[in-house]
Amino acid sequence: MKALTANRLSDGEVVFWKSGAWVERLTDAEVFVAEDSAVTAETSARAQPTLAIDPYLIDLVETEGFWTPVSYRERIRALGPSNHERHGKQADGGDAVEALRHAHGAARSSGRVNLIRRK
Amino acid sequence: MPMLIRLSEGVFSQVQDVFVRLGDDEPVVGGDAIVSLGRLLSGDVARAGGGRLGVWLEPGDEVEALEGRLDQVDLVALAFPKFRDGRAFTSARLLRERLGFTGEVRAVGDVLRDQAGFMVRCGFDAFSPADGSTVEAWAAAASRHRHVYQRAADARAPAFLERGRG
Amino acid sequence: MYRYDAVDRAVLADRAAEFRDQVRRRLSGELTEDQFKPLRLMNGLYLQLHAYMLRVAVPYGSLDPRQMRALADIARRFDRGYGHFTTRTNIQFNWIRLADAPEILDVLAEADLHAIQTSGNCIRNVTADPYAGAAADELEDPRVWCEAIRQWSSLHPEFSFLPRKFKIAVTASPHDRTAAKVHDIGLLLRRGRDGATGFEVIVGGGMGRTPHVGPTLKAFLPSERLFSYLEAVLRVYNRHGRRDNIYKARIKILVAALGAEAFGREVEAEWEKIGVAGDLPGSEIVRIRDAFTRPELADSPAPGDFEARRAAEPAFARFVRNNLKAHKLSGYTIVDVSLKGVGETPGDISADQMDVVADLAERFGQGEIRSTHEQNLVLPHIRLADVHTVWKALDAARLATPNINLISDIIACPGLDYCALANARAICVAQDIARRFEAPDRAEAIGELKIKISGCINACGHHHVGHIGILGVDKKGEEFYQLTLGGSGAEDASVGKMLGPALPIDRVTDAVEAIVDAYLQQRQDGERFLDTLRRTGDAPFREAVYADAH
Ligand code: SF4
Repeated sequence: MKALTANRLSDGEVVFWKSGAWVERLTDAEVFVAEDSAVTAETSARAQPTLAIDPYLIDLVETEGFWTPVSYRERIRALGPSNHERHGKQADGGDAVEALRHAHGAARSSGRVNLIRRK
Repeated sequence: MPMLIRLSEGVFSQVQDVFVRLGDDEPVVGGDAIVSLGRLLSGDVARAGGGRLGVWLEPGDEVEALEGRLDQVDLVALAFPKFRDGRAFTSARLLRERLGFTGEVRAVGDVLRDQAGFMVRCGFDAFSPADGSTVEAWAAAASRHRHVYQRAADARAPAFLERGRG
Repeated sequence: MYRYDAVDRAVLADRAAEFRDQVRRRLSGELTEDQFKPLRLMNGLYLQLHAYMLRVAVPYGSLDPRQMRALADIARRFDRGYGHFTTRTNIQFNWIRLADAPEILDVLAEADLHAIQTSGNCIRNVTADPYAGAAADELEDPRVWCEAIRQWSSLHPEFSFLPRKFKIAVTASPHDRTAAKVHDIGLLLRRGRDGATGFEVIVGGGMGRTPHVGPTLKAFLPSERLFSYLEAVLRVYNRHGRRDNIYKARIKILVAALGAEAFGREVEAEWEKIGVAGDLPGSEIVRIRDAFTRPELADSPAPGDFEARRAAEPAFARFVRNNLKAHKLSGYTIVDVSLKGVGETPGDISADQMDVVADLAERFGQGEIRSTHEQNLVLPHIRLADVHTVWKALDAARLATPNINLISDIIACPGLDYCALANARAICVAQDIARRFEAPDRAEAIGELKIKISGCINACGHHHVGHIGILGVDKKGEEFYQLTLGGSGAEDASVGKMLGPALPIDRVTDAVEAIVDAYLQQRQDGERFLDTLRRTGDAPFREAVYADAH
């Protein structure tokens, strides 16, 4: 499973792709099963460079009934800084945030799956 | 013919670029031509038909190599292969301040107006912008700063001299 | 403090206007991200994990109360009520909107502050001795030179697109509090035999992937020749520094590749060609010196009840022991304000705390505040008679942790909690260690011990020069930490040596404790941790950490 993420140009907010638009919550993000639909989404996102910066795909795993990023870095992006628990998206609380906190993943590099290709 | 921005006596204007860049094995057929540093040094630059001669320097080429030959040269084009490659700024200053070159010093390559001020200060007087800047936009960017702190290749008085005048 | 004149103010205003235009062009799509990135970086604007981060320059670590209040204002209006002091003595705001950045620059400019060249491949903020102007051991106030360097390097037409960033440190004390030897250029002010001042010039130190203690390029550079010499060094670097590999682009690599002698010869040849035309007129140095406000210090003011309080109040006595430093005048002292409260994020300060520090500086401290590369603040001119009042106020604001130079005075970069380049977190590691060594008697018994933590090899947390250095690495998606021992950023600068295999996050604090216990066992009279380590080598420490690792 994959999701498409980026930072919004105007304020840097972490955003996720959902059928042609950007949303702020990972729980609202579109989850891609097929590789080519993920890549198509990435291409359309890249065609809108004034909305979000450098979109890229991340790998997801299921944790406690939610899709959570495989990579540690991406989980911090989806939560917020661990030294300020009221800052960032984690301020919402709830089960999805708890699931992100409990998630375990594989290599960070496999989280930004297309990082190498983009370089 | 490609567009070029020229700075002359403090005024920016748009001019036609009449120079043609020649590859190292293309013959000189007349008209104004720009050749590589290697070709200039090899002497293979007979001026056919009285055309003017320019030389193209990559950032790694040392301007000191032109010492003693600058009287043959009307134009030095200094390349910015990337916006972030700042070696040509040094090359331009040395051309002006140390080698005393008075011909055209042209910025070519990834040339954006955000460096216009620095380029002018280092002695560039011709610009071939890669960002489609108009003369007006270029001139505004180049003269945005009312004061400068350093001496450079242009005639601007640095802050420490302005202050000295009270 | 250096007082800005109309020229200095115009430069900031023009720069802010220029950036406003660049932001507009980016938002409208006229500039691509690739084009915009170097432009925003030259104004200290990064894109981090959660938002944009704005790094505001605190030139050579000097602030006045008005400026501190402007920073508090920005923290409240444009951020989440706090800021983070860095190892470059700058302050970072973590939650900035791109669209607000131009307005923030305007607010900064109103207070004679800016974000110019706090990032990018240019000459960065100059580091100065945080006790400058107050230290008992200094030859003269190095900030005059720092301000001159600030001006000379600001928007330098030739040196704004160097192969890589470039950092200069200036100190005028034999005790180096700037880590000058691990800077691109370290300038150590010296007095020559005839009484004239000059600099020992160290070039090519640095941290990052390949740490180097820089060699001395010139033992004594007459101070009036400083700027032509800097120009020569920068020009040789701009022309010959590597641009093909970001990890080999710092000047330290060029100096090491050519050898200090050959590099020095190139610089000398260039310096000769530049000649005195490249120097700043002496009159300008005098003007800058005169533009600094002089603290109005009395002649040996009475210490009031300082001694009595110190004898009567153990907590105050502890603060005095750890957070006060000798001032050049009797009746005064230098007060270190700790931004390392136990459980806090190292270097973080809330807007309310900023206001407290500003008020104290105004009422008791001659309007002077300093930020240190160890991520603390300093009130450099406090009368002994006022120390108790100042301490009380700091304590009420949780700014009086008596731990300067002790084990909980930890440097930590933002790491993976904020930084887009990080491999692992740094803040929580620092917090955990600080909690373990919370008991102040134990910390004092351990004595001077500098722990420095970086979240990746870029080494913003200066781990190479930590007595104990901790580097975050990524091992198959888990946060691991590489320990180094024996680094020092002081006048006896050295680069720490790796102790052994990296440890998982939950073993780091135990490992630090094992190292400390081994030190306490090995210690001979009066030795600091670093002394013991240098005497025994790291075998006993490796044994302590890895013996039971199986
Ligand atoms: S050391 Fe690495 S992780 Fe830490 S602030 Fe610097 S770049 Fe970021």
